[in-house]
Amino acid sequence: MAASVALRIDLPVFGVTSPVTFADGVRDHQDEVYGVALRITGDRDAALDVASSTFLKAYRAFDRFDQTRPLRHWLLRIATNEAISYVRKRGRELRRSVDVEEATALPDSKAAPDTESMAREERERIRAAVSLLPELYRVVIVLRYFNELSVDEIAHVTGRPASTVGVQLLRGRALLRSALEVKP
Amino acid sequence: MRSDRHNDDLFDEARLRRALRLEASELPPRIDLAAIVADARAERPAFAVAALVSRVLAGVAAAGLVGLIAMALPTVAPALASDLFAAGIETLTRVAIPVSALLSLAAQPTVPIAAIAALAVAIAYEYAQRRERVLEVTS
Repeated sequence: MAASVALRIDLPVFGVTSPVTFADGVRDHQDEVYGVALRITGDRDAALDVASSTFLKAYRAFDRFDQTRPLRHWLLRIATNEAISYVRKRGRELRRSVDVEEATALPDSKAAPDTESMAREERERIRAAVSLLPELYRVVIVLRYFNELSVDEIAHVTGRPASTVGVQLLRGRALLRSALEVKP
Repeated sequence: MRSDRHNDDLFDEARLRRALRLEASELPPRIDLAAIVADARAERPAFAVAALVSRVLAGVAAAGLVGLIAMALPTVAPALASDLFAAGIETLTRVAIPVSALLSLAAQPTVPIAAIAALAVAIAYEYAQRRERVLEVTS
């Protein structure tokens, strides 16, 4: 494709020139970009929009991309900012695809749920609690536990000091714990 | 107690990771690279025109500013220079009057400048010695 050829750049790593194209970035990181958008926005359509706008912005700025830095972090940074903007724009209406009460409800004791449905319910509760976190903590929690980034990497992606990220992770976990302890 | 423990377990980091992981049913449709490129190119002319207009305006403004300065400098510079010179002379005069009075006083043979200076040095030395002694006692 002409676009991928046009955007081919040479990335010198340890003296070796290896080509990195925009197409490579899209192919390798689209699930992760979509995932971080989904976990921050809590909405699939919103996540698709965010992923698309992320790659559109990345395409436009690809010639200015700092080749010495990881493409993954750059894309995650754009995606995180896009997701935050989306959430702010939509406000509360977007925040919830799962209702709070539904999120914190315990399983019906009369039913005998199998292991799979219990696990699913647990996942839903945790996801709901994460998507209810204040944006400040939600972003670092998602980057830490979904994208598996280190504190330093999160600091790089979010542009916050590493010490701040550490504190926000602690605080975010504490908020999650208290949210998960809420009984219906 | 058991409930607390359950919640702690629920919040276990490994479970948090598992809960946030994308499931197969959540995987998005493949991003259409061609569509992104087409979108970017479709929007690019508008950006290009806006950027061009912005650059032209900035260039015209900069050229106008430089031209204005170039035209005004020959007429303003002599007046500005003379004003600055006059201000400098005035300041120098204001400072020189009290300084000359002090200098003439010091130059009189009846004022023992050397004796006063020696006294000041002696006082300072004694003060420093006393401070050192105090420090030795307290340490």
